[in-house]
Amino acid sequence: MPPSFLIAVAILLCSLAVGSAAAPYRPRSDSEVLETLPRSAQRGDSSAVRALRLLHARDPANLDIAVRLAQAQIAAARAASDPRLWGQAQATLAAWWEQAAAPVPVLLLRAAIRQNRHEFAAAQADLRRAIAEQPAHAQAWLDLASLQQATGDLAGAANSCEHVIGAGATAIGTVCRAGVDALTGAGAKAYRVLEDTIAQEGLAAQPAAVRTWALTLLAELAERLGRNGEADRWYRQSLAVDPADSYTLAAYADFLLDRRRAVEVTVLIAADTPIDSLLLRRAQADRLLGADTAQTGSDALAARFDALRQRGDNVHRREESRFRLALAQDPAAALELALQNWAVQKEPLDARIALEAALAAGRPEAATEVVRWVAESGLQDVRLDALLHPVPAR
Amino acid sequence: MNAVLKGIASLMLLLGLCAPAAAHKPSDSYLSLRREAGQLSGRWDIALRDLDSVFELDRNHDDRIDWGEVRTRRDEIDRYAKSRLSLSAGAACPLQIADHLIEQHSDGRYLVLLLQAPCAGDGALSVDYAALFDVDAQHRGLLKLELGDATVLSAVLSREQPRQTFQAGGASHWQAFAGYVRDGIFHIAIGYDHLLFLVALLLPAVLGRAGRAWQPVPSLSVAAVSVLKIVTAFTLAHSVTLSLATLGIVQIPARLTESIIALSVLLTAVDNLVPFLPARRWTVAFAFGLIHGFGFASVLADLELPRSALALSLVGFNVGVELGQLAVVAVLIPLAYLLRRSLLYQPVVLRGGSVAIGLLAAGWLAERSLDLKLMPF
Repeated sequence: MPPSFLIAVAILLCSLAVGSAAAPYRPRSDSEVLETLPRSAQRGDSSAVRALRLLHARDPANLDIAVRLAQAQIAAARAASDPRLWGQAQATLAAWWEQAAAPVPVLLLRAAIRQNRHEFAAAQADLRRAIAEQPAHAQAWLDLASLQQATGDLAGAANSCEHVIGAGATAIGTVCRAGVDALTGAGAKAYRVLEDTIAQEGLAAQPAAVRTWALTLLAELAERLGRNGEADRWYRQSLAVDPADSYTLAAYADFLLDRRRAVEVTVLIAADTPIDSLLLRRAQADRLLGADTAQTGSDALAARFDALRQRGDNVHRREESRFRLALAQDPAAALELALQNWAVQKEPLDARIALEAALAAGRPEAATEVVRWVAESGLQDVRLDALLHPVPAR
Repeated sequence: MNAVLKGIASLMLLLGLCAPAAAHKPSDSYLSLRREAGQLSGRWDIALRDLDSVFELDRNHDDRIDWGEVRTRRDEIDRYAKSRLSLSAGAACPLQIADHLIEQHSDGRYLVLLLQAPCAGDGALSVDYAALFDVDAQHRGLLKLELGDATVLSAVLSREQPRQTFQAGGASHWQAFAGYVRDGIFHIAIGYDHLLFLVALLLPAVLGRAGRAWQPVPSLSVAAVSVLKIVTAFTLAHSVTLSLATLGIVQIPARLTESIIALSVLLTAVDNLVPFLPARRWTVAFAFGLIHGFGFASVLADLELPRSALALSLVGFNVGVELGQLAVVAVLIPLAYLLRRSLLYQPVVLRGGSVAIGLLAAGWLAERSLDLKLMPF
């Protein structure tokens, strides 16, 4: 029997088994495996972290232990895109969570958690307070720059990046600044600066997360400038540093989807990925390929967005808008979500989904605000060019 | 065959071969409670992953949780659950845990605690929730509370808002009934396919068939009798299937139902142009009414009815549908009767209208049977 047939049979049987588990049931034996946990490493659960957790349980008011544990949890939350780990990091900081004037390390972590929940104003207040206490805190300025960039305050972000350089983190500050310049009409120059910085030995000495960040930034910029061959190469280099970085995986998958290289997306992202943003790209690829798994992925996404709505979360509007547009074929709902998202987030992806949804819904005038913003900021993006023309400028 | 397959399938499950990859989702527990005289009952689904972060269920650190690792910790889990959820209605309603089961949710398997709580007071019910906030500050308890009179209330319990109080009575039976009547009227008002089916059926009701041609009826009473027969037959038929489907006796996939409904509109419209269905229109109304009932039932199912109030909701919804239908008849028939002798009635209203309805229905039929999205509504 060909292996593909066996796999098909296995999937069918599994769907029967899991399907039959759709109502509460009593497992037949003690050895029945009920749950496969994310691997310990992904849960930030190395022996060092486990030790920290025990220490923290014994002394929850110990600042040093709590900060180190929360840092490990947030790093793991970012790496695995797992919202539970963000909630756990918040719980670790419980002793200081309600204090407006918390210690600086707590302010930074609290800002990161709040930014993840899209509480941008509160996150910004935390970072400003940290900077007021320690004006040369490079990490605080860098976090502020990223928050400002996400919310569309590009002048503020450029200024914050300069402060990162001023605080002594020259290489990181330079990458930060180039990332902002790339969005404000100086794309070609920013590209040269980024390339130079990445070539420098200083960046090679940085942690993997920083190199991934810089390489992906470069890849995205190359893509926006229409230099597709280079973009492809930078994305691959970035994934060579960290093959599991979900931000880079999503960005590269988008690059491939735009070129209808759907098969490569299916190699990049497993059909059962636990990460919503990646499952969305995989389902889009499956749809392009006409694969049956497209419907499975689409149903799973619908269930997950539904579950998020039930708990009152609204941090997934960008992803959900894309889902409504590309998979659920409901452009009106997609537009509604894209505009709500645009009110709080203003990155190139946010502009793109708003424009696409407005055109698909037959309401180009709804995106006038987006067009104005793109024109004023000077954003260069070949992907937006084709979308901008049909929208009336105000 | 089926039993053999299921056997192999559960064996694979046993071996952990198809433990589905758990989706990443924020931590939620699902608490559903039903309040009846002197008694609260229900269930509480808590993710095994969340219980693991409280109890380290995965004792052997193999990154898997098996039933043994859960079963042997039941007492600890029960104590935890009882200390983290308190219910009271005037006096405390002490929680009892009757059984432990497992259920699959979108982000993995959950332990299902079956709950009982004697609750003598008849005052407002207070729910005080404190589970898991200390290990995951973004955890939520999603509560669904069903009251004796069919009202279902829901609430999100969070670290910031861990306590909710629910008034005893909720809405009265009459209010609940009126709500279903409204739902029924609303559905017929936005259910273009049902409306157009009725219109297509009724357009010729002010005419009588003379061979292959149509003749205006001599009097209002003739038209009225024919309308009455059609509407009654349609109502009887869809009431039967609506009840059968809602009670779970007969089930038909929605896509099939929706496709046949579109087909029924198309055939009726074509019949107005080129008669081929039985001349006694009430028989047509009855036959197609059966399938429209299944369409109504899927709407009613989406409203997520409490089982205890099925009869109330079924009757209410049906009454709403009939009222909406009567409103259409009350507008359409007098107009059609007045216009029936006009030169424009047959070529424009009857034929033109039927062509338009037929085209629309053909579009729906293509869309629904092929699962496409072609049309704006």
